[in-house]
Amino acid sequence: MKILIVEDETKTGDYLKQGLGEAGFSADLVRNGLDGMHEGLAGEYDLLILDVNLPGLDGWQVLKALRAAGRDFPVLFLTARDQVEDRVKGLELGADDYLVKPFAFSELLARVRTLLRRGRAREAEGLSLADLELDVLKRRATRAGQRIDLTAKEFALLELFLRRQGEVLARSFIASQVWDMNFDSDTNVVEVAIRRLRAKVDDDFSPKLIHTLRGMGYVMEIR
Amino acid sequence: MKDWRHSITLRLSLAFALLATLVFAALGIYFSRAADAHMAELDAHDLFGKLALIGHVGAQEKSAEAFAARLGDALTGQNGLIVTVNGGSGPVFKWPTPQLAEALAAAQVALGSAPRRLALGDAEYRVMAADMESAWGQAVHVVIARDMRHHTDFLDQLQVDFRFAILAAALLTAIVGALAVRHGLHPVRDMARAAGRISAGQLAKRIPEQKVPPELAELVTAFNAMLGRLEESFQRLSDFSADLAHELRTPIHSLRMQTEVSLSKARHADEYRDLLASNLEEYERLARIIADMLLLAKADHGLLVPQAEPLALIPLCERLIEYYGLLAENVNIQLVGDEIAVQGDRLMLERAIGNVLVNAIHHTPAAGAIVVKIEAVGDMAEIAIANTGKAIAADARLRVFDRFVRLDSGSEGTGLGLAIARSIVLAHRGEIAVRLSGQATEFYMRLPLAAGLLTN
Repeated sequence: MKILIVEDETKTGDYLKQGLGEAGFSADLVRNGLDGMHEGLAGEYDLLILDVNLPGLDGWQVLKALRAAGRDFPVLFLTARDQVEDRVKGLELGADDYLVKPFAFSELLARVRTLLRRGRAREAEGLSLADLELDVLKRRATRAGQRIDLTAKEFALLELFLRRQGEVLARSFIASQVWDMNFDSDTNVVEVAIRRLRAKVDDDFSPKLIHTLRGMGYVMEIR
Repeated sequence: MKDWRHSITLRLSLAFALLATLVFAALGIYFSRAADAHMAELDAHDLFGKLALIGHVGAQEKSAEAFAARLGDALTGQNGLIVTVNGGSGPVFKWPTPQLAEALAAAQVALGSAPRRLALGDAEYRVMAADMESAWGQAVHVVIARDMRHHTDFLDQLQVDFRFAILAAALLTAIVGALAVRHGLHPVRDMARAAGRISAGQLAKRIPEQKVPPELAELVTAFNAMLGRLEESFQRLSDFSADLAHELRTPIHSLRMQTEVSLSKARHADEYRDLLASNLEEYERLARIIADMLLLAKADHGLLVPQAEPLALIPLCERLIEYYGLLAENVNIQLVGDEIAVQGDRLMLERAIGNVLVNAIHHTPAAGAIVVKIEAVGDMAEIAIANTGKAIAADARLRVFDRFVRLDSGSEGTGLGLAIARSIVLAHRGEIAVRLSGQATEFYMRLPLAAGLLTN
């Protein structure tokens, strides 16, 4: 998967490139709008990460030029201004998603994966990891053959983890996906929810599947 | 550029001058009328006297010649008098010169009991005519005229004098008026000077109210009250800036310490990982404070513009309770009330109600209870969140919505939650406050009801 990053802030650009690279993507970085437009037009990319505030050609102009030239890869734009008009403008110009700086890198990664997954074949109804199995249609979860009783939200949370195996999920992303809470709250609600889910899914079993990455979020994988 | 047309001094001076002019002009007109009438009376008196004299002489003298001689003697030294006496056969007496007397005779003055005015040559006269019997047996016709020049000169002079007097009076009142107004406005200039001395650093200063004339007392009181309000909000702003600096400095300080200490010697990779993770938590906290501050700043400047969509309150609160209820394991949260909807911004209102709910959860002891009640109050929807636990003191109830106010030390969070809730509610033209409901502390928000009740 090839990703183009257009970002003029040196450090942000470098770490975006490094982070995406380490997450298994092949990322190219350009530092101004003109280069971004040329790269976007010339190269074969699966996704564009576009900063709005760029010297020379700004992000909106780059986006417009690319869409006008028929480039239809997903575009995720980054903005430092949390204004409704900005978001609306970006989405109207054909962007697919946006993030407001400062954002958690894990959040960016989750969104990038969502955008890249879009349009691919529908995922299987049965999800599993190790001896944990989830039947999405029947709303049933079992671990080592034992039925686990879950509330609706716990089920949704577990489903999210299973669909996103190996991905670090930021707390804000989890709150948004499971509870549709789309504002940053400084409470530890997600922590509590994960603790309860762990008690049901992990505590009496081995191997442990839900892991905490301090400061970043949670990941489901076999370690 | 000052517009002198609006100068109080100028306008009042002109008004004084106009008033003086009018008063003096009216006085002048009255005096000259009175003088004129008085002169006419004097002239009439004189003319009657002269007629009586002529009649007396005519009744004594036995011949026309003797009459003329004696009358001439009697009239000697009388200036401005013309007399003509005609007998049946011709003129008997002409005074002072034949020409003047003939001119008077030619004027054909009618008989009458009151003097009339008559112009002869370039002079004006008051004239009377009378028929009388004489001692020498002839009926005579007497016409006498009294020159008015003497009087009209006096009246003319009086008018000229009056014009000067009016001019002088107008000038004088204008000048005195201007001085008086300037003096009268002295307290205003004092106020201006006092206001000019007040700067951000000296908002505690006030204009002394005792020395101010009663007419300006209201203005000074209002001005001082404005200063009071300014001082208060300025104080709040500077407290806020100080708090903000403190809130930002504390995490930055700990970040710096941690990082410096960690870098001071080589450590195990796990320790570095711990440091970075801990730093990350602080960064997140900083970013959240800044985002919250931005939202509050936007609200302060009226830039927080909520979308207006109808939002059913019961499902909205249900979702919030389901989410935040995870924080309150041993607290019973109950949702009661009517199926009503408000007009508002979903994201903002979720956040506002959520913040109030979280606040209630934080202040509810284990095994306590929270009741979320939704009902229509007039054309507003009221969302009241009551929790058991220690009641908030009355003075603290006013401060809970201030920024960075944490009533119990050591509580987590940025201390901006309720301030944000208030800003959001105010941006929706609603109200938010806290009250006591029995033993429970109750926060309530009122938001405009959506047109028509929604059932889902």
